[in-house]
Amino acid sequence: MANKRVPDWLNSSLWSSPGPQQSSVQSPYPSLTPLNDDDATNRSTRSATKSSVATVNAVKAEFPVERPSAPTRHVATRAKQEIRDPLSSSSNNYHSDDDNGSSASSTTTSASAAAVAAAISSAEDISRQAQLCQELSRKIINMGEVRRLASQGIPDGAGIRATVWKLLLGYLPAEKALWPTELAKKRSQYKNFKEELLMNPSEITRMLEKSVILDDEGTTIDDKGALPRSEITQEDHPLSLGKNSIWNQFFQLLSSTVGTLHWITVITNISSNMKDTEIIEQIDRDVKRTHPDLHFFSGDTPFAKSNQDSLRNILIVFAKLNPGIRYVQGMNELLAPLFYVFRNDPNEENAASAEADTFFCFVELLSGFRDHFCQQLDNSVVGIRSTITKLSQFLKEHDEELWRHLEMTTKVNPQFYAFRWITLLLTQEFNFPDSLLIWDTLLSDPEGPLETLLRVCCAMLIIVRRRLLGGDFTSNLKLLQNYPSTNISHLLYVANKLRVKSAG
Amino acid sequence: MVLVLALGDLHIPHRAADLPEKFKSMLVPGKIQHVICTGNLCIKEVHDYLKTLCPDLHITRGEYDEEARYPETKTLMIGQFKLGLCHGHQIIPWGDLDSLAMLQRQLDVDILVTGHTHQFTAYKHEAGVVINPGSATGAYSSITYDVNPSFVLMDIDALRVVVYVYELIDGEVKVDKIDFKKTTQNAN
Repeated sequence: MANKRVPDWLNSSLWSSPGPQQSSVQSPYPSLTPLNDDDATNRSTRSATKSSVATVNAVKAEFPVERPSAPTRHVATRAKQEIRDPLSSSSNNYHSDDDNGSSASSTTTSASAAAVAAAISSAEDISRQAQLCQELSRKIINMGEVRRLASQGIPDGAGIRATVWKLLLGYLPAEKALWPTELAKKRSQYKNFKEELLMNPSEITRMLEKSVILDDEGTTIDDKGALPRSEITQEDHPLSLGKNSIWNQFFQLLSSTVGTLHWITVITNISSNMKDTEIIEQIDRDVKRTHPDLHFFSGDTPFAKSNQDSLRNILIVFAKLNPGIRYVQGMNELLAPLFYVFRNDPNEENAASAEADTFFCFVELLSGFRDHFCQQLDNSVVGIRSTITKLSQFLKEHDEELWRHLEMTTKVNPQFYAFRWITLLLTQEFNFPDSLLIWDTLLSDPEGPLETLLRVCCAMLIIVRRRLLGGDFTSNLKLLQNYPSTNISHLLYVANKLRVKSAG
Repeated sequence: MVLVLALGDLHIPHRAADLPEKFKSMLVPGKIQHVICTGNLCIKEVHDYLKTLCPDLHITRGEYDEEARYPETKTLMIGQFKLGLCHGHQIIPWGDLDSLAMLQRQLDVDILVTGHTHQFTAYKHEAGVVINPGSATGAYSSITYDVNPSFVLMDIDALRVVVYVYELIDGEVKVDKIDFKKTTQNAN
């Protein structure tokens, strides 16, 4: 349907991008105030607002919203008051296409129900958390239900994000009884990978020797004279062809990884030993630069160093097992949220094995996006360019005016901004807690994150449409490359609306 | 973990037809990063064969080599080690440790690889090591009657080198191992 006019609900003042905010009480989107250092409260703020938004959404509202009679809680930074009511009125307006009604009702309702909504939202939060916990405690987990709940955001209260993400990525099977065996199997597999790939045979032989002979500091032979020879078995030397020889296995592994790859990269793999060090250097550099603002990743603490080491190991093992794409800059950004969430699992055992779990989930996550990282596939049907074109088409369907203005009038090629959005799954556009929320929604899509990702990108464009329509090439590009911080719940709400629209 | 193959004195086709079968089956491409050859190949076909094992090939001139343009000596740096290469017929008395030590000091290397005697030897001299990989084909030698085909594979890993000696004795391949650590106080 080619509607040149933008739908009226978009023109409502409620959906406009953040301008200067009035007092926090009046503002419909309180989380647009500058982020406090207290990430936790803001995160739950947004998840709560998202929950309230989501419940109003006609498609998703399946459980009733409880209005607690308990006295409302007073929290300093949380002013989530009016969100529910204006939204309910505006959603009605959406159906009736009445523009003015929404703004009128918003002002009236914003004055009222100040603190009630706060309690409501956090109550919804709790209810959803309870529902998720209940789902997770079942013997056989209903994946559809988990996906539905997760797409509205996973509350931080019960520390269940790690488990939910593992379920969503298919790492844990739906049947809970299988979890211990699965986990043990996968974790030992990762340990084997590490041993095979990160240690070369000379190190292994040295380790074996040390356990047999004591390492002597000084040489027992004279300064001059024949060197002592020690006879070794047929399996211990590098050219050995024996089945049990670690050397032979090492070279078999090298050659087998060569054998299973895409024809394009055969040439690059011939001198794989030389290139290995280059890749490892690249990985080192990128890991050190990951999230320099978070103490989890950077800094001099042993904790940060061990986290960086884990990231490094995962990326090296991945690069060695996937000679097709090896390592591309940006993979560290995709890895960081996964590792952060898994490492902060309240379950001690899981947190200790975070590295192994993250590796497999990373592989799973990347499996949908591999083609974006392969340079040779750039121009093909599955490559990054075609995905960007899809985004462009999407925008054209939903907001032709904006599309025309961006691509034709101001000639802002989507490649300039969407490349980073898509390949890095929006981790670089928002702050860390926000990107975790976005990932909740992305990962919960049963068809894979790509469709949802495109919708969220489209929503990002639509939200700032007013500024884009008013800007020229430079200002638009600047805006899109430094996307302003917005209310994540609103963003996801708009993204979800786009799904409804295109379906209807 | 850098694998360096050291061999020489093949004397193909004059004194030997080819490398022993058992050696050839072990020397497959893809495992070795460098090949150093003391000399006396003697023909281009052998040069090409060695090139297939590894593209990084270093050869010094032996007295029977048909290719006149190989250098007399060569030095290269692998890992933390400096390797020196020379055929050895220039150093008299042939195979004498002290004279070879002079060459080692002259080239300023940690590991000196020479040939010509068709006998495997590995000597330690001051801070350096002098290795003779012997003759890879077991070619006839004017110095000694007792010639077994042999070659050397070095595994260079930071400051440590493990020397694997492959000898064909009575039709069987025997492998020996020699460890050598570079002492840091002598590192220049």
